[in-house]
Amino acid sequence: MLHILIGLFALAIGAGFIGAMSGLGGGVFIVPALVVLAHMPMKVAVGASLISVVATSAGASVAFVRDGWTNLKIAMVLECATVTGAVTGAYLAGVIPTTVLELLFALMMIQSAYFSLRKKQDDVIEDGSPLAKRLELTGDVPHQTGKLVHYEIVNLPGGGAVMVIAGLMSGLLGIGSGALKVMAMDFIMHIPLKVSSATSNFMIGVTAGAGALVFLARGDVPTTIATPVALGVTAGALAGSRMLPHANEQALRMVFVVILVLIATEMGWRALSGI
Amino acid sequence: MARVVGDLKMSRSADEDRILRVWTPMLLRTILIVATAILILGLGLAIRSPDAYVTRYRSIEAGHFHPPETLRQEFSASMRGNPHSVMTVGLLVLTLVPLGRVAFCFLFFLKERDYAYVGFTAYVLIGLLVGIMLGNIG
Repeated sequence: MLHILIGLFALAIGAGFIGAMSGLGGGVFIVPALVVLAHMPMKVAVGASLISVVATSAGASVAFVRDGWTNLKIAMVLECATVTGAVTGAYLAGVIPTTVLELLFALMMIQSAYFSLRKKQDDVIEDGSPLAKRLELTGDVPHQTGKLVHYEIVNLPGGGAVMVIAGLMSGLLGIGSGALKVMAMDFIMHIPLKVSSATSNFMIGVTAGAGALVFLARGDVPTTIATPVALGVTAGALAGSRMLPHANEQALRMVFVVILVLIATEMGWRALSGI
Repeated sequence: MARVVGDLKMSRSADEDRILRVWTPMLLRTILIVATAILILGLGLAIRSPDAYVTRYRSIEAGHFHPPETLRQEFSASMRGNPHSVMTVGLLVLTLVPLGRVAFCFLFFLKERDYAYVGFTAYVLIGLLVGIMLGNIG
């Protein structure tokens, strides 16, 4: 029993750590790890993944919110878009071929990886759009020099539109869509990357929580697997959230690019092989 | 006049942000600690009979699922010290963390009479309830 528990804990701690640092939630790592390494059925992996996304989100958000990395108001406004997409996706599940969506998702990931590589540093916007100002969507982020840097945001409708797509993917594919959320905030709305990661972390818990409740009610979350995974992911997320403020922005971006390419490869492979 | 209104708005926004930054992590941490404690207790109970845990693990690995119990059955079994029911209750508490957070923000903005954000949080809550009813939200 001990070797099973140690294996699950190790896997979950790593997923929680990377999930918190990148803002992706850890679910994207848990699913393939449980299926490939632990030989678990897909349904079990997805159920445990949803629980792990909730745990990562909650664990990491404690420090991110307290220390000012998460922009709460931006999260609340954008959650309207993700929830709209998620409910629509849930309704449309089975109508739109999943293969098409997975391919689109893979292409979008490749595109954002390309933009990530081109973008060398955060270009903080000091004068945001009127709509963002009216909704008080601004913030201050600690800079490496120790000073607080004020940022504002632009293109809320554009960011919101991508958030609807992120929610749609969540509803249709049962994933957190953290990569798409970070991309929308970073590239389209020009929110600093660390704030985007922290805010994405905060947001993904909501849709994953709703999904996890459904899985729990159906009995698709075996406690034998989900409990050590949830505990390990929470520990990893807490550690990741303490590391993020000290992380090098450029290194974080590179990790993000690698993860995007891996997700794109996995999604593309799943779509093309019909799995 | 417009400047005074603008300053008051900024000050209210800063106050809201300050209060949320104190209370939201506290709420998250409290529920997380409760859920973690229940999960550790459940796992501790499961470790007392390792053979049963391994058998259950192998049966899941082979694709055999245990039919779900009702919430009432799970709670009463957890009170009797059934490790899997204790863990189910812990996982249930954990999944309620983000929903509890949105509900808290909704009540907070209602108290502050910040109706734009009351609208945003209410919309998210209704959307989640619809999603749960549709049974396929992820």
